[in-house]
Amino acid sequence: MKKRTLQRGLSGFWWLTLVFLYLPLAVVVFFSFNAANSAARFTGFSLRWYERLLGNEQIISAFWNSLVLAIVSSVIALAIGCLIGYGMYRHRHRKLGWLIVLIYLPIVLPDIVFGISEMAFFVSVHRHTGLLQPGLLTMIISHVTFQIPFVALIVYSRLVGLDPTLFEAAKDLYATPVKRAWHFLLPTIKPALISAFFLSFTLSIDDFVISFFTSGPESATLPIYIWGAIKKGVTPEINAIAALMIGAVALAAMLSLLFNRQGQR
Amino acid sequence: MAETLQIAFRGKAVVSESRHLLLSVSPGAIWIVVFLVLPSLYLMAVAFMTNGPYGLPQMPLTLDAFEQLAGFGFLGWSPGNLYTLLRSLWQTFLATVLVVIVAYPIAYYITTCREKWRAIMLLLVVVPSWTNQVIRTFGWMNLLAPGTPLSDAAQMLGLIPPNMGLYPSNFAVTLGLVYNFLPFMVLPLYAAFEKLDTAQVQAAQDLYASPVRAFWHAVFPQTLPGLLAGTVLVAIPAFGMYVIPELLGGGKGMMLGNLVANQFAGGSNWPLGAAGAILMLIATFIGLFAMRRIGKRLGGGEEVVI
Repeated sequence: MKKRTLQRGLSGFWWLTLVFLYLPLAVVVFFSFNAANSAARFTGFSLRWYERLLGNEQIISAFWNSLVLAIVSSVIALAIGCLIGYGMYRHRHRKLGWLIVLIYLPIVLPDIVFGISEMAFFVSVHRHTGLLQPGLLTMIISHVTFQIPFVALIVYSRLVGLDPTLFEAAKDLYATPVKRAWHFLLPTIKPALISAFFLSFTLSIDDFVISFFTSGPESATLPIYIWGAIKKGVTPEINAIAALMIGAVALAAMLSLLFNRQGQR
Repeated sequence: MAETLQIAFRGKAVVSESRHLLLSVSPGAIWIVVFLVLPSLYLMAVAFMTNGPYGLPQMPLTLDAFEQLAGFGFLGWSPGNLYTLLRSLWQTFLATVLVVIVAYPIAYYITTCREKWRAIMLLLVVVPSWTNQVIRTFGWMNLLAPGTPLSDAAQMLGLIPPNMGLYPSNFAVTLGLVYNFLPFMVLPLYAAFEKLDTAQVQAAQDLYASPVRAFWHAVFPQTLPGLLAGTVLVAIPAFGMYVIPELLGGGKGMMLGNLVANQFAGGSNWPLGAAGAILMLIATFIGLFAMRRIGKRLGGGEEVVI
């Protein structure tokens, strides 16, 4: 009897928490269809903010910047991180403490310290050499820096989970290391590579602080554009663009669920 | 094992193994050293430099930035920065405690549900954190603005003066922090609850322990590693938070992250910002170290990943 009341209470608390988690997002989506420019009163359904979006060149260019930044940085991080992950696995019996420290550094460093370190560094390098002007390039470099550890750790944990005798068998089957990598290693860690790529991509799209401090005047991403608009107090289209981004996340969540289901079967 | 023995017997192979290590690891290691270790060291150096005309650091070396950080300025000592530091500590503490209070029952509840629902429930908890931080915070600005139902209700209860919103305020910052970090606590706690050894609970009940005692002695210690891991994941990023206090806090809700960032974003005083960053790093490492010590003392500290 007592147990049942506890369970019922917990269930109620669960639904309450879900409301808490989704209310802010729901409000943004709801008011993106508002006919009036207000976040307090809903006057009628309209798509005018979405129409305004399409005509806003700054938003379109911010969208492309976000996309290019996420894709390019994820590809570079995948290549570099995959190599480290493999190196860590192959030489796991050695003392690699220094490497572990290096890999954890981007993870434990507070975002803001990360961002301003990069900014101070890029600005100084640019002042002395003319290279690395703050812009898309410096943003890509910073994003790769915080993506590498995640790729390396995912690849490493996939390799550790494999049966070590597989590697012996591969050695017997394929003569050269290149062939071994191509025909055995890459296909085996493919799931890890895919999830590492998606994680890197998400981390990049999600990031605001580090992008904010390493961007130049021409390289604003969507979050940076939204931030600027909120700060200036011009927010009518913000609900619409934010709603689209929330929609993209919802879609990604469905896909990951579907993917999981298939993986279980 | 066999592999290492084999290698030890062949001198040539050892050389090529070392070269292999170098080739595979060095691109990433060099990348992190050049693009993160060097910049951080440079930032630390900046803290000891003089503030130049455009906020850019100059020689000679001084401790001015640290004096400014401690509150000493042209007009004598002012407590502003000290308040900011204390506020950061307090907000971090409060948010972490509140997150634990919400996450603990949620994590437990998920483990009691049917297995096929659990993955979906966890996903539901995590998905909001996939959206951009700026957007999530903007959502709260919409909810807490003047004239919204929540603000009106708070006015009726007399919590805030009429025609005001619930933001900007310290309350809004705490709320934003709890919202932001809830999933980071639910996940490790869920992992702890899922591994829970129910035989211990059974034993406690068989020995006529009251439910409270049974919980305290049989359940709570088992979830402690998850709790510690969650605390690391919540408290450390919360302490350095920039976006939430900037948007929801206003001038009186500033945290250390804003103090640091404003010196760079406004371009006004790099050395002061760098000194603040050093303070933040020291606090971060003290926090990590303390959690590790606590984790080790209580045993089962392997859950604390860092």
